[in-house]
Amino acid sequence: MAYHLSIFVENKPGKLEKVTKILAENNFNIYGIYLASAGEFGVVKILTSNLEEAYHLLRKEGFTVSKRKVTIVLLPDKPGEMHKLLTILSCNNINLEDCYGFVLEAKAQAAIVLEAEKYPLLEEVLQSKGYRFFPDEKLASQ
Amino acid sequence: MYWEENIETLGVEELKKQQLKLLNLTITQAKKSPFYKNYAVDKVDSLTAFQERVPFTRKQDLRDNFPYGFLATDLKNSIRLHSSSGTTGNPTVVFHTKKDIEEWTNQVARCMYMIGMRPGDVFQNTMGYGLFTGGLGFHYGAEALGALTIPIGPGNSKRQIWFMQTFGSNVVHILPSYALRLYSHFEEEKIDPKGLKLRIFIIGSEPHSEEMRQQIEQLYGVKAYNSYGLSEVCGPGVGFECQHQCGIHIWEDYYLVEIIDPQTGKVLPDGEEGELVLTTLKREAMPLLRYRTGDLTRATSSKCACGRSHLRIDRIKGRADDMLIINGVNLFPIQIEKTIMGIPGVGKNYLIEIKKENYMDKLYVKVEVDKEIFEGTLAGLTQLQNRITEELRSEITVSPVVQLSEPGSLPVWEGKAKRVNDLR
Repeated sequence: MAYHLSIFVENKPGKLEKVTKILAENNFNIYGIYLASAGEFGVVKILTSNLEEAYHLLRKEGFTVSKRKVTIVLLPDKPGEMHKLLTILSCNNINLEDCYGFVLEAKAQAAIVLEAEKYPLLEEVLQSKGYRFFPDEKLASQ
Repeated sequence: MYWEENIETLGVEELKKQQLKLLNLTITQAKKSPFYKNYAVDKVDSLTAFQERVPFTRKQDLRDNFPYGFLATDLKNSIRLHSSSGTTGNPTVVFHTKKDIEEWTNQVARCMYMIGMRPGDVFQNTMGYGLFTGGLGFHYGAEALGALTIPIGPGNSKRQIWFMQTFGSNVVHILPSYALRLYSHFEEEKIDPKGLKLRIFIIGSEPHSEEMRQQIEQLYGVKAYNSYGLSEVCGPGVGFECQHQCGIHIWEDYYLVEIIDPQTGKVLPDGEEGELVLTTLKREAMPLLRYRTGDLTRATSSKCACGRSHLRIDRIKGRADDMLIINGVNLFPIQIEKTIMGIPGVGKNYLIEIKKENYMDKLYVKVEVDKEIFEGTLAGLTQLQNRITEELRSEITVSPVVQLSEPGSLPVWEGKAKRVNDLR
């Protein structure tokens, strides 16, 4: 089961940097990052290595942070794959809360982080279509 | 030149004599209310005796005895209620009998006549009607004087200008800050207000400087007169500047005026700055004895060139308490605190900031979010922001800009927190 971090940040210069500074100094590897803004504030979603430890560290540092369940699906890195994935989701009436991706190996493999309300259904549907998931171990340790 | 010449120019000695008579009637009337009924005083033979024997009445007393504790008449004789904003910590409510409304109307008409308003004038009232006394108080006064009264109410600048042009409004009751903002609408529409029939602006409800008055007078080509009043003793009409614009005459046949040291409660002599304390002299439904207005000013009994014998106070310098005046609406920081602290998701710290933007007051409320119940979605935060905005608007009737802040990002205070930052 995978999680990413969701952190409340004010939309001001240097606020996001305070988060990445702590992660960098403590040697966490950021796989993916995504920022949703509502004008004066926003929520930054971060997928890191050792996520549980990163969560406790950021809390200790005073950040407003929570863990959100995600599904990280692996796709071939080629044209049309994202569209194929989203078609499957829409056909199954699955709405996405958040979505961002990162390339694992250029022209070969990408990972897409999906946050959805219909959580078990999302994984079941994707599994049935033969999708594989980003290994949990990668998030647990480096 | 005078609305009621014999009263307005009455000799000081005679005025004091009448005040003492009215004061004793007021004490008798006040003692019909639950709050004053146990006061040991029945009759006083001098102002000094009154000051020695009667304690101050405070705004907190009004709140603590909410809703009917100060009512000195039967409900069947009370015909009007006005109230301050909010439900937190009890708003201030004020009752009126039919005679109270008539007397209030007379005070306002007297003020308006004093500044040169006459039957045949067209009076545009841009103040809010409703529980707020500014709208209805002037409305009744203007009608009693015999002016064509336009109850347009606040806002909608385009329509305000259209009414001024179309009906030739020459007397306008307006918030000083709004007068300045309205001018920018005149500029946008390329209309010179000096080309209209505007002659007199009545400005009040919020503290403003002499410079601001002069600016308004120059922009519009009018005379602007400062109005003073507070809903606890009726509303507008308690006092007004005369045409000499050298202080606000308080109608001493309606109010007994004292200036006190807000710290010690000591009565201060003529000319010294302190807190204004008023005793109503003609109110039936809700007489108030030695009511602390919270307004800081100075009083002078020296003779005014207008010939009126009633004393004058300076324009209000500020507040003895923490009351805030936002575009003419009175509110207390505690109302904001109680409202936001009752909302789940709000953290421990908050900050109130008030700024001037485009001549109007803007209220910012910065709120730290509670990290323990942050569930990680942007939608959840937006919802929290909207809820705080809505609940505050309903409590204080002012629309705030609510800003969510990270926990620990707002200043932390040792001892008494300074949570209000007035940048006006």
